Amino acid sequence: MIFGRPLRKAITGISFFLWLGSVALAAVDAPPAPWTVDALVALLKEQREPSMAFEEATYSSLLTEPLIVRGLLRFTPPATMEKAITDPFRERYVIEGERVLFESERKGIKRTISLEDYPALRGFVDAFRASFTGDAVQLQKVYAVTLEGTRRQWTLLLRPRETTGQSMVDYILFTGSEGRVATIAIRSQDGDRSVMTLFHGAPR
Amino acid sequence: MIRRFGVMGLWALAMACGLWLVTTEVAVHSELADLLPEGTTATQRLLLTQVRTGIAGRLMLLAIEGGEPEVLAQASREFGQRLRATGHFDMVGNGAQALTKQDQELLFRSRYLLSRHISPDAFSVDSLRRALEQRLDDLRSPLASLIKETIPGDPTGEFLGILKDWSGQEGPAKHRGVWMSGDHSKALLVAETTAAGFDADAQATVQQDIRKTFEALPGRPASLRLLMSGPGVFSVEIKQTIEAEVWWLSAAASTLVLLFLLASYRSVALVLLSLIPLSTGIVAGMLAVNSWFGFIHGITLGFGITLLGIVDDYPIHLFSHLNVRGSAPAVIRAIWPTMRLGVLTTVIGFSSLLLAGFPALAQLGLFAVAGLVTAALVTRWVLPACVPPAFVPRDVPRGIVPALAQLTRAKLLVPAAVILAAFALLWSDTPLWQTDLASLSPVSEAGQRLDQQLRRELGAPDLSDLLVIEGQTAEDVLQRGEAVMSQLEQLRASGIVAGYDLVSTYLPSRRSQQARQQALPARSVLEDNLQAALTGLPFASGLFTPFLEAIEAARTQPTLDRDTFHGTALGMKLAALLFEQQGRWIAVVPLRGVADRPRLSEAVEGWQAPGVAYVDLKAESNRLMTAYRDRTVAIVLWGLLVIAVVLAVGLKSIKVLWPVLLPMMSALVVVAALVNVAGESLSLFHVATFLLVIGLGLDYALFFNRPEGAGDERARTLYGLLVCSTTTILVFGVLACSTIPVLHAIGMTAAAGSFCCLLFAGMMAEKEPAEDV
Repeated sequence: MIFGRPLRKAITGISFFLWLGSVALAAVDAPPAPWTVDALVALLKEQREPSMAFEEATYSSLLTEPLIVRGLLRFTPPATMEKAITDPFRERYVIEGERVLFESERKGIKRTISLEDYPALRGFVDAFRASFTGDAVQLQKVYAVTLEGTRRQWTLLLRPRETTGQSMVDYILFTGSEGRVATIAIRSQDGDRSVMTLFHGAPR
Repeated sequence: MIRRFGVMGLWALAMACGLWLVTTEVAVHSELADLLPEGTTATQRLLLTQVRTGIAGRLMLLAIEGGEPEVLAQASREFGQRLRATGHFDMVGNGAQALTKQDQELLFRSRYLLSRHISPDAFSVDSLRRALEQRLDDLRSPLASLIKETIPGDPTGEFLGILKDWSGQEGPAKHRGVWMSGDHSKALLVAETTAAGFDADAQATVQQDIRKTFEALPGRPASLRLLMSGPGVFSVEIKQTIEAEVWWLSAAASTLVLLFLLASYRSVALVLLSLIPLSTGIVAGMLAVNSWFGFIHGITLGFGITLLGIVDDYPIHLFSHLNVRGSAPAVIRAIWPTMRLGVLTTVIGFSSLLLAGFPALAQLGLFAVAGLVTAALVTRWVLPACVPPAFVPRDVPRGIVPALAQLTRAKLLVPAAVILAAFALLWSDTPLWQTDLASLSPVSEAGQRLDQQLRRELGAPDLSDLLVIEGQTAEDVLQRGEAVMSQLEQLRASGIVAGYDLVSTYLPSRRSQQARQQALPARSVLEDNLQAALTGLPFASGLFTPFLEAIEAARTQPTLDRDTFHGTALGMKLAALLFEQQGRWIAVVPLRGVADRPRLSEAVEGWQAPGVAYVDLKAESNRLMTAYRDRTVAIVLWGLLVIAVVLAVGLKSIKVLWPVLLPMMSALVVVAALVNVAGESLSLFHVATFLLVIGLGLDYALFFNRPEGAGDERARTLYGLLVCSTTTILVFGVLACSTIPVLHAIGMTAAAGSFCCLLFAGMMAEKEPAEDV
């Protein structure tokens, strides 16, 4: 025995102290809340910006190279969302509940359509809902939701629960960090996809 | 004695044969269309064809209510699918499916013949370039997945263009994928039955199946209700109403008459004896109508029972003159000349209905004439033989003579009543004549309201405005339709009409199709143009081979006609919009939401398009009704004249003619005023009933003015008259309670008329010679 009894006693006392300290520390500074879909969606809502610039690339089996459009996403409380394409042509989609106003300068069209009539639009609309309104319950009703990664670097995968042909979407994949979405990829059943990259802090 | 039994035996035999024929031969119909005339002009014939078999007549409007929108939508989808499977319908629409897969394939295959945008310039390098750039936009849009699969075969977007042109007939608003009312409280469906709308039996089966299908919907919440409307639903309702009413009206009327006779004469034998001419008359009437028209209408049967109230006059006249001194055969011989004159005038009145040219009235007229004549003959020849030799009805109260004599003191009330009536007619707010055909419909008000509401929500055409395009051949009609297409579109743009359904929208004429084929370029030219147009665009190479092949095939594709679409939903639509009638081809163009009829009529005339005419069906049908009414009025007047002449000859005196004619004519004016004051306008059927009133009135006046002797005899005559008229008023009073407008009109007019006739005849009767004093 090298240290003898008093020392052993002291070490035990210190380690007890340390242990006690760590317990006390844990009590004071709780570990971060579990990283869940609810938490992410709440965070997205909290850190949402009223407007963001985007660039969207469409990949199709009919095409030899992706088509690129640029524009702005806007959110007007309480629940109006807008996707405005500014380049290479001007086109607008304004989403309010189940109705979508579609306006195209080039085609000379301005009309309101119902999501019920165009189930194909639903994927696109849901993607925006998820990133803006924070309604995780509604989101999980329609999609099987898988969250991976960390709060710093996460991916959110949405797959439609109903596979009976109503939905033309295969999956929607979000990537991001904290409450900011970096990209939204929508893949349709036939393999075509569009990838939207969002730029935060863009002017209004 | 032997002769007596011989007569009774013969009658029994004839009656047995008659009853056997009635049960085996007589066909009872209840369809209102069976009572409508053929129409005298081409337009009227077209109108009636449309009413009988046209597309509007086969339309059934359905609604599901009593649940959350989501539940309603689910029920509507399931219900629509199951209804389509029943095979009762050419088409069931609920918004969930606009065109069947079969239809879509046929349209896609025929896109270069059907598209309005095909011109020689449509496939130039510039046009192709523009089209291809638009397709790139489409691919960038969120709707890309919808459009994508048509792009390789149809880069110029003809197929979607056709669908867009056709969807000009916008349906009701959609919610949750199906048609719903604005407040989302009702899911709306529309179906076209294969059976004609006025085929009540077939429609009843269809509706029963619809209800069963609805009840059997899997997982249907109990709160869901089904609403149905449309001409087919109405014809079933009408048929049921008529059948039920005819039954209870007959039962009520016969019970009342028999009870009243029993109470008046306190003799079961007398009631049974009266039944002999009554039953014979009704059987004869049914057989006569059935053998002439091939069927008897429910409404005629309902009216037939009123014959009870007229025909029973004959035996009552006989019984009221029967006393201890005279045997039945002697009495009938004595009163026969007066009775004969009464029968003759009544028959003249009714036979004029045969000339009205309106099947409904002709049936009533024939029924009445055959029934009356038979009953009178039976009263003359059979009834006396059946009366037991010692049969004497009970004494009548003698006080009746002086009581009725009091009536003549009130003589001046008659002109007073006539003047009052004339003023009432002149100052009344109620129009004198009924010109709206719809007012004759026995459909309940609630039913009509529901129909209007569903029609408005569905934007379904109703039977009121049509454009008619005529020609020698289908091709003629299609070319004429194409010629007015742009003008129709202008009418819609300017809001004069909300929408239209023109056959040329769906099916171009052969000439147009051939012109389009001529405009399609040869493959080598198209290939070069496409190549040039594709320069710099990121489309995959060889992507448009299906397009090149489709154009090449379309250049020699056989042209389309009405038969190409046979058996598809579209084919049904075409068959309803374009058809052959009496060697000519006709396209009907139902118009929706006509805002300004005079301007529309003016505009269509202004086009000066050959064979194209605007028909305001409501105005036209009302015109039809008015024409028949005017004819009936003329016939009534002529009938009156003939009756007057017959009377003058029969009575051998013009002096007696006045007291006989005057009460009846005064009664007519007063009745017209009464009907008007009650808030009803005179229709064809009121007018026709005037004839009946004339016949009844004359009968009363003849017996009131019959010269006869002793006070006892006079008392019997007057008592008999009172009984006769009371039964008549009872029977027609029952009829006036009917909810079927035709029967109500007849009942009300005749009940009021016979009362006035009796009262006025009594007031204006010649004073008795002072024999009683």
